[in-house]
Amino acid sequence: MFDSLVVSTTSAVLAVAMATLMAWLVHRTNLWGRRFWSGAMWVLMLVPTWMTTLGWIDVLQPGELATALGYHSLFLYHHFFGPDGIIFVLTTAAMPFSYFIISVGMRGLGSEFEDAARVHGASRLRAVRTVLPIIAPALLSAFAISFAESMSDFGVAFTLGSGAHFPIATYVLFNAIYSFPANFPVAAVIAGVLILSTVPPVYLQSRVMRGRSYAVLSGRTRGVRRHEFSTPARLAVTAAVATVMFLILGLPLTGAITSSFTNTASFLTPTGVHWTLESYRQIFNAPPAFTALGGPLLTSNELGVLVASGTVILALVLAKRLASRTAGAAQGVMDSFLLGSVAIPGIVLGIGYIFFYDQRFITQHVVDLYETLPLLVMGLIASATPGQARLLTGPVAQIQSSLAEAARVHGATRWRAWRTTSLPLMSRAILWAWLLTFTKTISELAIAQILYQPGHEPVSVTVETYLGTIFATIGSAATVLTLVEMLGVIVVVLTLFRFVTPRGWRRIGEAVVPS
Amino acid sequence: MSATAIGIDRVSKVFGGKVALDEVSLTLAAGTFTVLLGPSGSGKTTLLRCLAGIERPTSGSIRLNDVVVASERGVVGPEKRNLSMVFQDYALWPHLTVERNVGYPLAGSSMSKAARTDRVAMLLSQVGIAHLKDRYPNELSGGEQQRVALARALAAEVGLVLFDEPLSNLDADRREQLRIAIATLTRESGATAVYITHDQAEAFALADNVGVLSQGRLVQFGPPETIYRQPANAFVTRFTGVSGELPVRAWSVRSSDRAQVTLGIDGSPELDATMGGGLTPGCAASVLVRPAGVTLVAPTDEGSLVGVVRDTAFTGRGYEHVVALQGGVELSKVFATNRSERGAAVGVRCEPSALFLMPTDEGLPS
Repeated sequence: MFDSLVVSTTSAVLAVAMATLMAWLVHRTNLWGRRFWSGAMWVLMLVPTWMTTLGWIDVLQPGELATALGYHSLFLYHHFFGPDGIIFVLTTAAMPFSYFIISVGMRGLGSEFEDAARVHGASRLRAVRTVLPIIAPALLSAFAISFAESMSDFGVAFTLGSGAHFPIATYVLFNAIYSFPANFPVAAVIAGVLILSTVPPVYLQSRVMRGRSYAVLSGRTRGVRRHEFSTPARLAVTAAVATVMFLILGLPLTGAITSSFTNTASFLTPTGVHWTLESYRQIFNAPPAFTALGGPLLTSNELGVLVASGTVILALVLAKRLASRTAGAAQGVMDSFLLGSVAIPGIVLGIGYIFFYDQRFITQHVVDLYETLPLLVMGLIASATPGQARLLTGPVAQIQSSLAEAARVHGATRWRAWRTTSLPLMSRAILWAWLLTFTKTISELAIAQILYQPGHEPVSVTVETYLGTIFATIGSAATVLTLVEMLGVIVVVLTLFRFVTPRGWRRIGEAVVPS
Repeated sequence: MSATAIGIDRVSKVFGGKVALDEVSLTLAAGTFTVLLGPSGSGKTTLLRCLAGIERPTSGSIRLNDVVVASERGVVGPEKRNLSMVFQDYALWPHLTVERNVGYPLAGSSMSKAARTDRVAMLLSQVGIAHLKDRYPNELSGGEQQRVALARALAAEVGLVLFDEPLSNLDADRREQLRIAIATLTRESGATAVYITHDQAEAFALADNVGVLSQGRLVQFGPPETIYRQPANAFVTRFTGVSGELPVRAWSVRSSDRAQVTLGIDGSPELDATMGGGLTPGCAASVLVRPAGVTLVAPTDEGSLVGVVRDTAFTGRGYEHVVALQGGVELSKVFATNRSERGAAVGVRCEPSALFLMPTDEGLPS
């Protein structure tokens, strides 16, 4: 448990620090390839931790990509199977969460606050230090959610923790449930401690935010102004960002992709590397006892749409409540409950659903949902809502209450006031929350594996059945195709947003040319 | 559109144990322009927000045209009160252009699209920003944003327009221009107007009636002239402008509303002052001096208070001086058409109509 706390705290601090720097570089400077880096963060977010880990193994394991490129990676490979590797993967997994939460805050933060600090004698660095607390809700939300996500992560615990003899809480929990005989008391204690571990970050957040308003988005908000790097500095910063992004995303992806284009036990064979499309052919003509990709991919997309839509609606309601400064003790309780819910590993949630909905009394007298799609949808929504509610709290807290009040006094009903004033201002955040939930639903494994409807397995379950077998490269191919499909959906949705929404919706937070 | 008559009956509002409004009662005739004047924390914003329907009174009732819109039994939503509002922070929607911000209140009306477009164009023209109709709020100056907010408030021809310190964020020039725009356009619209401010000059310039609030209570209500010439107490006198306060050694009743005052300043003449509320025979009192009734004269001028010029400021039409009287009492805004240099010995003549004898132990905020 202590190992989990140390690893999660370190990962969350590193993730928030890196994400803040990245968000500032992308949104507030003239860094080259800003759209590309933002897109790369999306891809990083899509990749589940188990896949990142397997990608790194595909790179570092003797005989794999690093060996093929002439590097002796044994030292790094051993290091990777330990706390360093776990912290590295968890940090890279939590970083995009933090990045998107902080980005929303930075987009809504006009340049007048920075200007005010500068004209009152602050250096550029001090001005940044002065302004950062204004996006404190975003920073603290980012830390809290990164910490909770790290605490509850199962993929990295499963793939790295076990092999490294560095078991962290979720892996011990998994073992307690899936060993024979199952040790439910130990599992319950671990789940309880996991939830309690989220109390400190929530307490910290509530102390910092007590009685303070962070509403900065109003009709008077000026557009953001970018810091202009000189050409050599711009080049150096862009190169540094490119290097970091390659290390945390490019390399493991390369490992997975190259693995999908081979059909041999290891990447490098005594007769060299054998490139083939066989794995991609086989994923649509599955070997006996395995499932082809088409059906599961469709099921996962349906699940993604249902879960993302339901989650965003619920999360918005909760975020509004969380952002309210008058909610008092009830807000603290709900905040703790929501963050606690983020820390419940999917595997615990899934098993809890089975225990409840498989009871004879429930199935016979209340509702028979066991092994149905609605139960899986409910489980996934329950799992995704707390995190999304916290993600949306920052943007909701930034909108001045007078904007909706102005709509009401000018004749708008409560619904019209929300639809025409708050919704447009939050549209980007809502869009991102929807896409994030959609993609996370498709890659989610723990709940899907426990609650899926027989005959309608989601794609993550299909992929998992291939990995660890002699058909692992088919699993890699399925993973790559799923990622490509998810990216395609993101591109389509973002394009639709661009062409369907009024220009004013897209202007919020757009940078202006310095005058 | 018909103007809205307002009845506020014993309205109180409590926020977490803190009383923001304390049994305020007020009746406003349809079509009048009322300014609620008071310092920060006096409850004027809370009262305005209760009228708008954004806040729900803790007790008491509000009637608009004899229809109860707020009482212990429930409240009518803001959108059903036939009103509009200009917010202190303007509350313009950043994702909508100027034209769409102003046209927003018309969206649910029965007007045709062409009529709506014409109405918006006319309003933008009236407030002088027709050329900015395609801009977004963050592309406008503060004054331009406030003009958009004013046009939006007048767009739907409602019966009641509320103003929440709309000029407080503007510079002096723009304040004056917009004050005139608000006064003329709102009166032309025929709507009842309720305007809140902490600036007495703004209040007197705009209002048919002024309501002065202090610590959640309505202290005085009446035409600006009455508030200025017959202030109810020392708080109202101070808040509506004084040059200074003169210590009183003794006073006696001269007639029903006037008193003979001996100042606590050696060598000073006896003064004739208006008696304020709350005076009891022999109680400690001081004389509050309105700036409009004090002028600078020669130190030898009979009946004047003698002092030394501490500071002088050019105001365009003349000079305002700060004069230190004997005993360290200071009077500010003492007018003269000619400049007197700092350190010069001068006399100050006080008109009886500018002097108010008030009890000193009221304990009200200065």
